[in-house]
Amino acid sequence: MYRAVIVLILCIISNSAVAHEFTPTYPKLKQSYLEKVLYTTMILFNARKDVNYYSVGVFDENWEVVPFATESKLISVKHLQRKKIDIYIRERDKKRAKYICSKSKIQVSGGGKTSIVSRICSKIE
Amino acid sequence: MKKLLLLGLMFCAVDVGAENMEVVGRVESKCVITPDTSGFYGNPTPQKLDSDPTSGGVDPVVRYDVLQANFYKAKISYPIAWSESPTLSDTVTWVGDVETSEVSVAGMSAYNAAKVEYDNHTEFNLTLAGSTWFKTETNATYGVGKAFPAGNYRAVVVAECIAQ
Repeated sequence: MYRAVIVLILCIISNSAVAHEFTPTYPKLKQSYLEKVLYTTMILFNARKDVNYYSVGVFDENWEVVPFATESKLISVKHLQRKKIDIYIRERDKKRAKYICSKSKIQVSGGGKTSIVSRICSKIE
Repeated sequence: MKKLLLLGLMFCAVDVGAENMEVVGRVESKCVITPDTSGFYGNPTPQKLDSDPTSGGVDPVVRYDVLQANFYKAKISYPIAWSESPTLSDTVTWVGDVETSEVSVAGMSAYNAAKVEYDNHTEFNLTLAGSTWFKTETNATYGVGKAFPAGNYRAVVVAECIAQ
């Protein structure tokens, strides 16, 4: 079991030059400096050379959009950059908000190709 | 006496030169999505674009790494529209399939039997920690016996990792 985990960690480290990470898996909402507004901090790591922008969204359990505020909904993250993103949600939306997702944005270019859009969703505790 | 002084100075120099450098790390539950192979559409017949290697294409492959079992599900969607193409006057019929192509733990080979398919989406519960490679087969047929107009075609596979 431990060997498998070590191999996996080595695998992630060695191949992380083209990956997309979004953590924590289960973020907790905390009181922000504003009354009736909660926030959580997410960390986005961009190791995809082909991607420079990510979008962020908050959704309920039916994947309907939940209003939220952040620095920018389209975030510029350079290759191998790790970025902290504060997500602000109204206290009244606390029970509705279920997922916080980041999605890679690809550029239009090339022909006869398929691109891979990656999207990682964390579940709010 | 001089030798003793010299020895003292040597130790002093070492003390000044040495510094502690920390490298910190953290292991936490997470899902990492890694595009492994870019896909390519072959054009075996004028009315068909196909990622199957037997048709001259390349199936796109994406790798999922999860550090803990049962924390995530993978949802992969094959394309049902072009993100880039010449103007098309007829309908395009899309067909696709997603399955594991490589696994780091033998038990992951059961993912194919347990997958859930709906519309153009396929979901896999990532019940084991480790790496799984998912291959997406995709093909598009234009109209009825019509040839695709010349130009660049590009479609998008969406690979999602959703915390459970």
